[in-house]
Amino acid sequence: MVSSSTPHSFPVSGQKILIVDDDRLNIRILEGILNKIAGYVTAESYSGESALAVYDTFQPDLVLLDVMLPGIDGFETCRRLRQQYGEKCAPVIFITAKSGSDDVVEGLGAGAVDYLPKPFKPKEVVARIRTHLQNRALVEQQILLVEQLSRANSAKNRFLGMAAHDLRNPLASIRGLAEFLREGAVGRLSADQLDLINTIHDASQSMLIMVNELLDVAAIEAGDLKLTLEAQNLTDLVAKSVSLTNFEAAKKGTHVEFTPPTDPLVLPIDPAKMKQVLANLLSNAVKYSPPGSTVRVTTQFDLPAATCSFSVRDEGPGIPAGERDKLFQDFSRLSVKPTGGEKSTGLGLAICRKIVEAHHGTIVAENLPVRGCEFRVTLPLSP
Amino acid sequence: MSFAGTVLIVDDESHIRKYVCLILRQFAQLTIIEAANGEEALGAYERERPQLVLLDVNMPHMDGIETLRRLKEIDPTCSVIMLTSLANRKTVEEALALGALDYLRKDTSKDEMAKTLTDYFGSLDASASAPASP
Repeated sequence: MVSSSTPHSFPVSGQKILIVDDDRLNIRILEGILNKIAGYVTAESYSGESALAVYDTFQPDLVLLDVMLPGIDGFETCRRLRQQYGEKCAPVIFITAKSGSDDVVEGLGAGAVDYLPKPFKPKEVVARIRTHLQNRALVEQQILLVEQLSRANSAKNRFLGMAAHDLRNPLASIRGLAEFLREGAVGRLSADQLDLINTIHDASQSMLIMVNELLDVAAIEAGDLKLTLEAQNLTDLVAKSVSLTNFEAAKKGTHVEFTPPTDPLVLPIDPAKMKQVLANLLSNAVKYSPPGSTVRVTTQFDLPAATCSFSVRDEGPGIPAGERDKLFQDFSRLSVKPTGGEKSTGLGLAICRKIVEAHHGTIVAENLPVRGCEFRVTLPLSP
Repeated sequence: MSFAGTVLIVDDESHIRKYVCLILRQFAQLTIIEAANGEEALGAYERERPQLVLLDVNMPHMDGIETLRRLKEIDPTCSVIMLTSLANRKTVEEALALGALDYLRKDTSKDEMAKTLTDYFGSLDASASAPASP
């Protein structure tokens, strides 16, 4: 649930202020201003040590702290408060007769947010305190909001993971049973029957891919992207992916061309994950290139930079101006459409980016001068 | 493929049992029996003593890991291949540590699933054609 209070409505009165000063007259004056005029609830301490104890029980929203105190001084008291309560510590404002800049600097260095010079001007005291209380309320709201959002996001991921997981088995069965049917495992089919079975097969196939991508994203966002790095020959991996893609690409008359370099490019990668990246980039290239195109794949070795890279060049429309930022984001599809009616979840490149970044590599896309674009993945030779 | 014997399929989802059953039919001379949960699987194992068990990981009540543990108590030499929908590395590793031979991913194509089974039956053939022990 998102808190219903808006950033504009701060309950000013009723907030708790701890006043720490060994001079009781000062405390009396400040109490008069804060308690009687502004409606704050106040508590008092006459030393740094007692202030630490009172802070614990009173839990103030703000602390007014004298610098010169018997025992530990104001700076030390402030440092201890910050140390103990960290980010959650109430803002501390120093009360100081000496407004020399060194003091001010030391006070701010100890974690204070401001200082009030003596003698007090009631309006100034009230105004400064109100500002800092509002600041603190905003910060607290922000922290709360971020916590709520990250909880909501992880709940969404759990839901996504469960839903996708439960959808996957039945889909796999539908696809598998359709395969048996179309191969005639349970009797001959007429052309019309075969056409229907093929439709069932292709639909369940594309849905399975979609569900798998959703699961990947849910797992990656939940922090479950764990790489198992092995020394692998990148060229072999690319060659395998290319030949797999060519099988599909042939349906569109498109060809993926790859001339492997003679020397092996061995580097530590997670082969299964990197295959996923390759399969994605290659199938995108085929998807967005007009039928009959040639997709060109190359691998490079950059010794001075200690990197290896591979690039995939398509003959498609390229990345529309102004849509570059969307390219590697979750659930973002560009305005360009696949040329053969293929489906897209808008997740593939986001997954690629996350996998590549987990390898400490980079993925970039550039439009080519004439037509098409190039996706380049660069990976470090040592992890 | 000379493997002739009984295979027990354990999965709470009937469509999966049907699907795996069709894949197994590609291998001749198999008797296929089914169980829909862990308890049924243990009973079926005691009665039929199948040569191979295909065991789902994710089942309500008694999950695949627990079923595997109990199967191993009944018969430490039983051959089990896990059925998993997700290559859940941790669960798979746990199953392999408990003595499962391999795992089959239900969400892969039927040819891929058949290949794991071919490999398994092939390994049986290989050990069968080795010099027979007295």
